[in-house]
Amino acid sequence: MTVLAGLCALVALIPLASVVFQAATLGGPVLSISFLTQNPPLPCTPQPGIPCATGGVGSAIQGTLILVGLATAISVPVGLGAAIYAVEFRSRFLGLAISFTADVLTGVPSIIAGVFIYAYFVIYDPSIVFSTITGALALSVIMIPIVTRTCEEALRTVPHAVREAALALGISRWRTTLQIVVTTALPAIVTGILLSVMRASGEAAPLLFTAFGSRLGFQGFNNPINALPLLIYNFAESPYHNWIDLAWGAALILIILILITSVISRLVVQRMVHRMQGG
Amino acid sequence: MDGPTPSAPISPMPRHSPQWGDRIFAVLVGLGGVAVLVIVFAVMGVLFYQSADSFHAFGWQFLVNTRWDVRHNVYGVVPFVSSTLLTSAIALLIGFPIAIGSAIFLTTQAPRWMRGPIGSVIELLAAIPSVVYGFWGLYVLGPYMRTTVEPALYRYLGWTGAFSGTPTGTDVLTAGVILAIMVIPTIAAISRETLIAVPISQKEAALSLGATNWETTRVAIVPYARSGIFGATILGLGRALGETMAVTMTIGNHDAVPTSFFSQGQTIASLIANELTNSNGPLQYSAIIEAGLILLFISLGVNIAARLMLWKVLRVERGSTE
Amino acid sequence: MSAQGTDKPPETIKRQTSKTPLYAAVAIVVVVIIVVAAGFYAGWFNSKSTTSGTTGCAPPSGGSIKGAGSTLVYPLMYQWETVYGGGTAVNYESVGSSAGITDITQKTVDFGASDAPLNSAQRTALPATAVTIPESAGGVVPIYNVPGVPTLNFNGTVLAEIYLGTVSNWNSTAIQTLNPGVTLPNAAISVVYRSDGSGTTFIWTSYLSLESASWESKVGKGTAVVWPVGSGQPKNAGVAGYVQKTPDTIGYVDLNYALNGGIQFGKVLNPAGHYILASVNNTASALKDANPTLPSGTGDWYNVSVLNAPGVGDYPITSLTYVFVYQDLSGAYGSSYTKTQAETLVDYLYWMVTTGQSYSAQLYYVPLPASIVAADETTIGSITFGGSAVPNSCGSSV
Repeated sequence: MTVLAGLCALVALIPLASVVFQAATLGGPVLSISFLTQNPPLPCTPQPGIPCATGGVGSAIQGTLILVGLATAISVPVGLGAAIYAVEFRSRFLGLAISFTADVLTGVPSIIAGVFIYAYFVIYDPSIVFSTITGALALSVIMIPIVTRTCEEALRTVPHAVREAALALGISRWRTTLQIVVTTALPAIVTGILLSVMRASGEAAPLLFTAFGSRLGFQGFNNPINALPLLIYNFAESPYHNWIDLAWGAALILIILILITSVISRLVVQRMVHRMQGG
Repeated sequence: MDGPTPSAPISPMPRHSPQWGDRIFAVLVGLGGVAVLVIVFAVMGVLFYQSADSFHAFGWQFLVNTRWDVRHNVYGVVPFVSSTLLTSAIALLIGFPIAIGSAIFLTTQAPRWMRGPIGSVIELLAAIPSVVYGFWGLYVLGPYMRTTVEPALYRYLGWTGAFSGTPTGTDVLTAGVILAIMVIPTIAAISRETLIAVPISQKEAALSLGATNWETTRVAIVPYARSGIFGATILGLGRALGETMAVTMTIGNHDAVPTSFFSQGQTIASLIANELTNSNGPLQYSAIIEAGLILLFISLGVNIAARLMLWKVLRVERGSTE
Repeated sequence: MSAQGTDKPPETIKRQTSKTPLYAAVAIVVVVIIVVAAGFYAGWFNSKSTTSGTTGCAPPSGGSIKGAGSTLVYPLMYQWETVYGGGTAVNYESVGSSAGITDITQKTVDFGASDAPLNSAQRTALPATAVTIPESAGGVVPIYNVPGVPTLNFNGTVLAEIYLGTVSNWNSTAIQTLNPGVTLPNAAISVVYRSDGSGTTFIWTSYLSLESASWESKVGKGTAVVWPVGSGQPKNAGVAGYVQKTPDTIGYVDLNYALNGGIQFGKVLNPAGHYILASVNNTASALKDANPTLPSGTGDWYNVSVLNAPGVGDYPITSLTYVFVYQDLSGAYGSSYTKTQAETLVDYLYWMVTTGQSYSAQLYYVPLPASIVAADETTIGSITFGGSAVPNSCGSSV
């Protein structure tokens, strides 16, 4: 029986190994400095005697960084603020409502986030439907609930004796919250933010109708922008070998980024756990 | 010791004389909270507003119509709901046993040094982006299904009629398998937490009665964690329902009710991805948004149910083990 | 109130003893931001052509245009974007002809591209008058993946039957009669179509409707139809990619995709009785021989067809592909639309139909004949901004 259960764990790992292996073998050879900096080339399949332009995914990397950076800049204040409100003012109805709503929002399919932003802007201002702003907003709709929930849990783990002690010292409430409570819970908060960043960088569905994709780098907040997951989606299904290779390279980059983020957040959590157990 | 007690409410703050710093802070933070509430209502509001045309045109027929006919401008959501449910069912049928097996293995059977690393690796499955899974599905899983798995299924199970049609590797079965891979980490991780939260007294009682390791697991631990495991599964279901990219790339994009595991299908999510900006007119656009609204309700409903189940289980367990 | 005076209880507050992981995370983020910013300024991502590859055209700099639609014409649009000079950013997204029409109707783009002309419902749905400008032409070919067979012959009737599902096996009589002496495998045909709204679908289904009364009544023509059998893939690229990977499939794509993907495609019987393998030459001769009467820019183009051209060597499944633009730019887009943008758009349109045509043949598209170019220039000349015609630097002959 142990064997059977162990087998289950093994079976669960096989797809992961396959995905990583595939991305590494097909995407690895493509990685280079020019891959990271140049823009995508004209689609083509190598014919004898006619080489293909290689190009790179530079505009996609830049786009992902900008979109996720912008979305984080929007999501962190909103999410952290909501979490603080939910925790510090918990006895009020609004606090409970926020907590519950954030939980519920994590269940919104990512494509609905994109549809929401698209449908809204089509009515409100069609000229920016396909732009960096809408892409960042769509990603924020996904990130905010994650940030809120993880920050909430992080803030809850700070014992209320800390708050009471600070207030007893005459420290004002906002200082207590920001300088003491948040700082104490900072590792978990940063982990939560990293997790949401990780999630947002891999999402393609919300960007389909908002960021639009582009061959070029950043052209302004009102203009379309590229992103790694979008590039993978667009190039993966094509018949062009140079594009397919680039897509594997992009997939490999995403996987590496996620691995790094996972490891960092795990280290942070472990430190925090050790601290609490040792304290 | 004043350890963290997430379930205990934080005692009300002593009131100061209201200082402007505190007031501004409360307002700013409140704004963040309000924003979260606004988002939920905004999403529903916009979707309701845009699906009004379709609702007026079709009414409740929309929910039972099996045709999605762009030529005659008649739309019904049944093909997509059935594909969504079918792929999710396949995902749970395959994913649940594997996830539970892994969770049980990691919490009770595996040597201690293995538990952390392997658990982390299984959680990494959840971090791989959907589009990468779709890419892999297109190039690795799909061909494998087409050349190996599906012909075998046809040979041995074809008599049931559920495996008719040419195996192409791009069908609801492949989409279901990829969804299974994507929900395994969710179900496994939360089941693990639930299993860990089972009070040690249960295990001790079983062992003291002479049960073997496996019997202890089977009789004392797993049944105790039943509702948590169930909640985890429902959460996994919620994830499967809304998955878009991996499904779009592997399901075949055929707007009709799937009649066999080898049929091409279209989930609500992949319908939106394929046809939202491609619609043949405002009525189809409105119908697609209405389908999205239905998906939103189903996903939210499933998610809320799962969290209610888990909230009770996990919070009660955490409280009682301390 | 806490009974411990002013000392903070050590067990409940403990600063993190090591912030290394936190610092590492912050450091990585900071490094990345610096690298990206540096990349910005070093112009790494700037692939705007610095050479003015055009003679006589010097568009206003700093403009940016968005276009979307047809995947058939995407490689050509891509090439044009890269070569068009003047520091103008042109973004064309290949999302399918239907999406292009939706986008221009919703005014989210400056021009929409489609292989299907606007039908009456779509024209009515437009918030303002739009003009139709054919900017290129191409052929649609039947691609297939049947290992071991040479180039197969098809005719319209058999293709319709395959897509209707009445002919479902590769070695059926219908296909075998057209290909005597070829050993066809006993394998079920996997039909592939476009899952997104597509102008290529419009061309394909228009051709099938012409050739098969059964198809016309059961399915009809359009950018999206109710397909009796098969599976769908998005965009020309998706269909081409899927057929390339999956054996026993048949699909339809633009000539360019078939040639660029190295995918086998078949000959199609033309009205003159010859089996033609599509190429730039025979699609160009089809366009010339069909010699369609073109309506004015604002007219109804729905019945313009170049299918089944009469010439001996003409390829029967050829079609024009169009760009839709609003005629009164300030009226359609409102105050947020600037004069620079209007001038950039008009300049780019002129460039597309004149200098841009020299890039067509090498990418397997049909260069427009002089008569169509002249008609286009007249139409472009009718585009206004703020009540007057938009000046352009290309100095058209009109």
